[in-house]
Amino acid sequence: MQGKCGLFFTSYRAEAQVFPSGFQKSMVGLFLAILCAAPFVLNTHLTSIVNLVFISVIGAVSLNLLTGVCGQISLGHGAFLGVGAYAAGQCSVHGVPFPLAILTGGLVTALVGMVFGVPSLRLKGIYLAIATLAAQLVLEYVFLHGGALTGGSNGLLLKPPSILGFAFDSEIRMYFLLLAFAAGALLMVTNIMRSKYGRAFVSIRDFHLSAEIVGVNLFRYKLVAFGVSSFLAGVAGGLWGHYTGYISAEQFNIGLSISYLAMIIIGGLGSVLGSVFGAVFIVLLPEVLNALANTLAGFWPGIALHVVAMREGVFGLVLILFLIFEPEGLAHRWRLIKAYWKLYPFAH
Amino acid sequence: MRVGKIITAVCTLLLAGLVLTGCGGGEEKPAATSEKKAEPIRVGGLVDLSGPTSSVGAPYAEGLKGGVEYVNGLGGVNGRPIVFDLQDTAYKVQQGLSLYKKMVNTDHVVCIQGYGSAVTEALVPTLAKDKVPNLSASYSAHLTDPKVAPYNFFSAADYSTQCRAAIKYFKDGWTESRAPRIAFIYPDHPYGLAPIKGGKEYAKELGFEIVGEANVALNAIDATTELLPLKDAAPDYCWIGGTTPSTSVILKSAKNIGMNTTFFINIWGCDENLSKLAGADADGVYSNQAAAVYGQDVPGMKAIMEITGNQPQMTHYTRGFVSALVMAEGMKRALANGELTGESLKTALETLRDFDPMGLAPLISYFPDDHRPNMAVFLYTVKDGKLTFVKEQILERREDWLGH
Repeated sequence: MQGKCGLFFTSYRAEAQVFPSGFQKSMVGLFLAILCAAPFVLNTHLTSIVNLVFISVIGAVSLNLLTGVCGQISLGHGAFLGVGAYAAGQCSVHGVPFPLAILTGGLVTALVGMVFGVPSLRLKGIYLAIATLAAQLVLEYVFLHGGALTGGSNGLLLKPPSILGFAFDSEIRMYFLLLAFAAGALLMVTNIMRSKYGRAFVSIRDFHLSAEIVGVNLFRYKLVAFGVSSFLAGVAGGLWGHYTGYISAEQFNIGLSISYLAMIIIGGLGSVLGSVFGAVFIVLLPEVLNALANTLAGFWPGIALHVVAMREGVFGLVLILFLIFEPEGLAHRWRLIKAYWKLYPFAH
Repeated sequence: MRVGKIITAVCTLLLAGLVLTGCGGGEEKPAATSEKKAEPIRVGGLVDLSGPTSSVGAPYAEGLKGGVEYVNGLGGVNGRPIVFDLQDTAYKVQQGLSLYKKMVNTDHVVCIQGYGSAVTEALVPTLAKDKVPNLSASYSAHLTDPKVAPYNFFSAADYSTQCRAAIKYFKDGWTESRAPRIAFIYPDHPYGLAPIKGGKEYAKELGFEIVGEANVALNAIDATTELLPLKDAAPDYCWIGGTTPSTSVILKSAKNIGMNTTFFINIWGCDENLSKLAGADADGVYSNQAAAVYGQDVPGMKAIMEITGNQPQMTHYTRGFVSALVMAEGMKRALANGELTGESLKTALETLRDFDPMGLAPLISYFPDDHRPNMAVFLYTVKDGKLTFVKEQILERREDWLGH
């Protein structure tokens, strides 16, 4: 553990703390306080964007656990979100209380994820990517033709979630619910990463043969990675379904899976903080481009449509630029910024 | 390292830009514009201008803009101009939702002019909660049931009704003693699947023999494999539920394998581009349309020609134009009854009875318990590369068809 100058530990337990220094603790506290105050300052539109960020954070951190930490690439993550959305949605439709519905959504998705994770014992890299792509296609088919289970092409309509009679039917209420879930997911993944499971995942990612030689049961740990990651994806899907109030097969397509991959690549593979950065970046990118187009339209009528049309191109360009110049993602840049200030003014 | 700094700077700027654009808007409740002279009426437009269905989304959006321009040219609604804020959803649910929330909560639009099924369907519960009507171009039948989608309206007959109307037309013209044979070709996609169940049931009811079906994807480049089994089944009529590019692929493949049948095509599968894509293979097909084609001899066409400077537009343009006319009529009635809000606009739209959008589309009525605009479809056939009007086929407004 790299601590601040003058910070030293006398036990492993102390060294393994999530926030080792008092400064970090107060900063996190301050950040949480700002987050709690934010919806009262932001307008409804910006609150809704942050809500989308929270849901994306859960999805991104779950994919990061599987792909970034354990090295198991997945192109089916969007569909796993869909499984969670439909499972939680069906529970809600049948009167199951919201927390239980979300939990069931997560567990069902974990089960489905583990089934599709079975080939991971024999398949690696691009082969596993194709196997998970198959999962995406199979699940999309099931969503569309699931009859009463998925609502077929009509999809499922859901009511806003409610806990003990308290309905989360406004953006601000959803904000706090989603914030709690996002914080919980981040804490969960952070803790998994510093447990023996996390170390096993990293060893599998770095070199599966060495991992096996030191006694890591590859099949078991890979399945656990698929299970935990899918569980969180299912939770994100369930929240998404309840947030929008409507689930259809079109929402969980390959494009969503690619968006999540882009989030963890831009944010930083294997980093919890990176998942947050990536989610924020990908959710905000179209919003910023829209705002840019609208601002420019004031001076230059007609430019808006061109900027809008360029959006997909800009998305691709950003990805390429990140892969070339910042392959370790925004989390790495964040570490460099922190190091710069820690060493300031003695940069070398 | 310098590049890294540039990336840092760009990210910071993007974030700062967003924060700045977010400034200056507090928590406010959805649309409630009081009746004041010349106070503009805000309307939001959520159309796919850059996504997978933008080839038809863009002309539809132009039609919406043209319709608003026409209404404003006549002095607006009771003297109040309509301000139309058109935004691109790129056919993405998340983007559509986000834009919608900005329009309703920050810009206080009275209603939405929507478009594709993905965003329209995702908005259904939110519209009902916010009491904001959405006049969209997603014609799935279940959106016509106010019990399911109380704030959704559209100005063309739903996909199922259109399909049924075409089937009825063919049955009426059937002279042979044996039962006519019918087959369905559609993409495995919510839009493609939407009218199939209703179409099949009605075909059976009218005594058709359903001899087969095939799935052809919207992005298919060849359909021979899918069509060969259908050729053996020798249907007299074949329904095509796709988009214009996929329809042209189907028509060309059908010609290649020598399939001899009468094709009839869903509303988004046939427009002025079909003949450009399929050439002579498109001749003789029937097309369901819910609005007049450019230059057709109907009263409203003069207005469209004036606004477009005699530049021919696709049929999607006319539908966008009609949607704006219907919206304006609803607003006029709502203002006549008092304040214009999303709720009063919904109530006003539900009083429309046989509203004539200047002949550009079949007459439109909405009822509080039935949002089917009409039970009519314009049937066209492609003759020498041109869409030629055949008939306005009207069905009865059957209760058991509502929402299916």
